[in-house]
Amino acid sequence: MIRPSLFRRASVQRVTFPLLVLLSATMIILGKADQVILESLRVTVADAAAPVLDVLSRPLAALADLAARARRLASVYQDNDRLVEENERLLGWQHAALKLAAQNSQLRGLLKLAPEPTATYLTARVVANSGGAYVRSLMVYAGSENGVSRGQAAITGEGLVGRVSEVGTRAARILLVTDLNSRVPVIVEGSQQRALLTGDNSERPCLRYLDTGAAIRIGDRIVTSGQGGVFPPGLPVGVVASLDGEAPRVEPYAELSRVEYLRIVEYGLADGLPKAIPIGPRGGRRAERSADGQQSRR
Amino acid sequence: MKAIAAPVRQTVDNPVARLLPIATTLLAMIISVEPAYIPGYAAVTPAFTLMAVYHWTIYRPKLLPPLALFLIGVTQDLLTGAPPGVSALVMLIVRAFVLPLRRHFIDRPFPFVWAGFTMLTGGTMLSLWTVHCLLDRVVIDFRGTVFRAVLTISVFPAASFLLGRTQRTLMSTG
Repeated sequence: MIRPSLFRRASVQRVTFPLLVLLSATMIILGKADQVILESLRVTVADAAAPVLDVLSRPLAALADLAARARRLASVYQDNDRLVEENERLLGWQHAALKLAAQNSQLRGLLKLAPEPTATYLTARVVANSGGAYVRSLMVYAGSENGVSRGQAAITGEGLVGRVSEVGTRAARILLVTDLNSRVPVIVEGSQQRALLTGDNSERPCLRYLDTGAAIRIGDRIVTSGQGGVFPPGLPVGVVASLDGEAPRVEPYAELSRVEYLRIVEYGLADGLPKAIPIGPRGGRRAERSADGQQSRR
Repeated sequence: MKAIAAPVRQTVDNPVARLLPIATTLLAMIISVEPAYIPGYAAVTPAFTLMAVYHWTIYRPKLLPPLALFLIGVTQDLLTGAPPGVSALVMLIVRAFVLPLRRHFIDRPFPFVWAGFTMLTGGTMLSLWTVHCLLDRVVIDFRGTVFRAVLTISVFPAASFLLGRTQRTLMSTG
């Protein structure tokens, strides 16, 4: 004879499976219909998981660092020769830049030009990536308690990485420029053509809405235009890498999948995006902060 | 060549060992979201959770209940920024698909188990691509999905070996 408890357990299991399938399907539909509820849930989970992910990603980061050091060691002499030569060349450029900066400052004074807003920077560690072919984002271990807010630009030394799309108390999500939902107003340096850098989940985003007959060449530099008020103007983004297909493709300067530390730029423009969802205060260890000492002027 | 993880048929009494399927699937999920600092890796990260779900559904399905799969799947989606529910749904469907076929894979040579996983990965990746195309209302480049499927299938023997070893070590002492 079957015991009642076993029978009950079997009945519960029979009901649980279809219920969970239904719940998953509902979440998918709800996620499309109402982003707000799921965004707050995502932010809460990110806040809770960020410290754990931070600790777990350290050994891998140390290994990657070790491998990079070994690679650099192999080419240390060639690199040194190249850098000495580059340094000589850059000293020439430094003189030119200083002269132009002084001249620029004089001309701005003559024109009584309003000073540009001061940018501040915050450094954050990447603790998770999107792990798949359909979303291009990163999670950083720094949140609103560190001064991160929605809409800020995320950069590396090389160039633009993306923008802050969700912010929790101690973790934030960065939507990469390569993501399907990323749109960045840019300008092609030289020709001064305006365009929209549009991600499509491939490694190279495309330039859309260029003027017909625009003279774009491979190697042209792409920088942010500052239009739309989300990004400050002039942030380097990448270079035009191919002109095949329906739109030119841009190779980003930043190596998006090798980023360990990001700089988040506060330029006083973050109001260009809709207001962030307020998330309740939460205690706990602070995110890695190199921000306090890293405030600098543009 | 025999299956790497030969099933241990006796019941598992060791409470630590009973948690092994959930713990390893959770670990697989965490490994999936960890940044690897390898160029281009993020887009083709192998589906580690799929490997764990396939393995445990064949060898210890009762120790990896649907509720655990649902929670791990939803957490993965919330951490990666993917539409929540997609991974959970995929994991539940994989379980439902493999469960009635599991006795055909027990005690069979590893290439047979691997072939089963290859077909499952192909189907899963195609379904995922379709779901994301429908959700984003755009035809997403299929090459990323193919690379990811190939990498997932290639990594499976190593993952299966590790899971089988851990299973033998912990569960045979139960």
